[in-house]
Amino acid sequence: MLVMQTIVNGLLIGGVYALVAVGFSLVWGVANIINLTHGVFVLLGAYISFWLFQLYHIDPFLSIPFSMAVLFITGFLIQKYLLNYVVRAGVFMTLILTFGLARVFENQMIVAWTGDWRTVTTSYAGSGFVIGGVSIPYIRVAVFILALIFCICLNIFLNRTKIGMAIRALTFNVEGARIVGIDIGRIYMITFAISAAMAGAAGSLISTIYSFSPFLGTPYLSWSFVIVVLGGLGSIYGAIVGGILLGLIESFSVLTFGPGYQVAIGFVILVIFLVVRPQGLFGKKFLT
Amino acid sequence: MREKMERKKILKIVLMLLILTLLGLLPFHLSGYWVRLFIHIFMYAILAESTNMLMGFAGYVPFGNVVFFGMGAYITAILMGKGIPFFAGILIGAAICFLFTLAIGHPILKMKGHYFAIATMGVSEAMKQIVTNLDITGGGSGLSLVPLSLPSVRDVYLFFYFLMFLILAITVLVTYFISKGRLGYALRAIKANEEGAKSIGINTPFFKMIAWALSAFFTGLTGGVFAYWMTYIDSPGVFDIVIAVKFIIMILVGGAGTVFGPLLGAFFIEFISELVWSKFLIFHLTILGSIIVLVIIFMPKGFIWFYQKRFTLVALLENVREGKV
Repeated sequence: MLVMQTIVNGLLIGGVYALVAVGFSLVWGVANIINLTHGVFVLLGAYISFWLFQLYHIDPFLSIPFSMAVLFITGFLIQKYLLNYVVRAGVFMTLILTFGLARVFENQMIVAWTGDWRTVTTSYAGSGFVIGGVSIPYIRVAVFILALIFCICLNIFLNRTKIGMAIRALTFNVEGARIVGIDIGRIYMITFAISAAMAGAAGSLISTIYSFSPFLGTPYLSWSFVIVVLGGLGSIYGAIVGGILLGLIESFSVLTFGPGYQVAIGFVILVIFLVVRPQGLFGKKFLT
Repeated sequence: MREKMERKKILKIVLMLLILTLLGLLPFHLSGYWVRLFIHIFMYAILAESTNMLMGFAGYVPFGNVVFFGMGAYITAILMGKGIPFFAGILIGAAICFLFTLAIGHPILKMKGHYFAIATMGVSEAMKQIVTNLDITGGGSGLSLVPLSLPSVRDVYLFFYFLMFLILAITVLVTYFISKGRLGYALRAIKANEEGAKSIGINTPFFKMIAWALSAFFTGLTGGVFAYWMTYIDSPGVFDIVIAVKFIIMILVGGAGTVFGPLLGAFFIEFISELVWSKFLIFHLTILGSIIVLVIIFMPKGFIWFYQKRFTLVALLENVREGKV
């Protein structure tokens, strides 16, 4: 029974993990940018939902489009005016630039919302249903389904629209894409914006489940790293599978070793995968 | 021509001696605040200088090198708790870090570029959590050490000031000898073209391992001194990835692969960081982050490179042109 509960818990939270990681994986796979601001984007989404809930009593699920829009614009501007200037200088430059940017954002968040822990508690927060001894909260199910829907929509976008195909073209061959007339800079901006929007959606969803503070961007970033390695770079399916896998691994490690070792186990698995199968389950090899 | 070079060399040596004397006399004439600041600067300089041994020369970026800082700190704290004297403690800590790299180095150094960086980061984060959960390390509540007892507080400051300074000098010297010797040659070859280096017979795994092990040794040493200085350490504080990114930025800002670059980077960043923190408490992270962003856009190769380009504006714009998509 405990095992069933653990599986369900891991599965449900895995969906959100996947959504958090999918944007990170996309940007890395397409533009070779390791975006350390990603965790901060998730937090921003959460804070936007929090603010809308506190000030205007807007249900967090309804605030998702708004947080996605804000983050889309933010991501677009960051890529256009900052990241596009260092992309060709190498992936470590983007890493450090996003690191600096993340600190800037963190600071602004502390000023705006103080360091207090926040969460969004709706009236239906505690309720759920019970199947065969396993308790399943409504919110977690909703979050899981929505997270998956977003990932699948993103996948459809990438495969069926012109812009989506342009984005995918960049994961294959940047020079080739340039030759067929794709405006690389603009595609990077759109990709980064989409990645930020996904992170924002994930943040809004997370605000209903977990509590957060301005410095809590790092765990989301760690999950993203592990999922990218597990699932494979640039692959949406990989992010989904990786996310659910990570959710299950974490859930079972809490069961077996207690709550302290989740992150450690996640990273040990990461290192093992890097040694044994660096491209993850579905991904392409990292650009060097 | 020859004479001009000789004169330049002598000037450089004289300048260095002057700076050394200045730094030696400094702590006796400044207040405790400044001495503490300098100890911090020296500490980061050592961290930057030691990681530079692998990162600057071989081009492998060990994001998780802060794990050695934490390991050194904890090992020293635990050993001192059992009665082992300080100097023995830090040396044992450093030695364990050295051996640790030799143990895990083989599979991890096989990875290139970002794989390696992420793997080291994984090791660091995993270690952080493991240490938080063990009893011997005091778990989440951290470890306390018996503070150094000397006639006055001032003497304690002076002790750590000169100790850090000494370790810094040794690290710089080791880096200098690396850069002039076979190890540096091998590492530079690896950075330029690893396959090429292998094909002319350079034993790349061996040299990479030695470079990483050396960087681990000095980082661990510093961690031990830090623990004794602070007299209290806790897991998230000493395994903090922010420390790692900070000293990597210092290496980049100063000039990776040079002997004095990381030093300059450390001085600049720590100094600015402290100044900004004292004057703009609320926004200091914003300012620091913005400085980092600007440096990365305009000066990714570091100060030393900028000095070699004679500080021209054109050089800065050249960087932007190179990096822009």
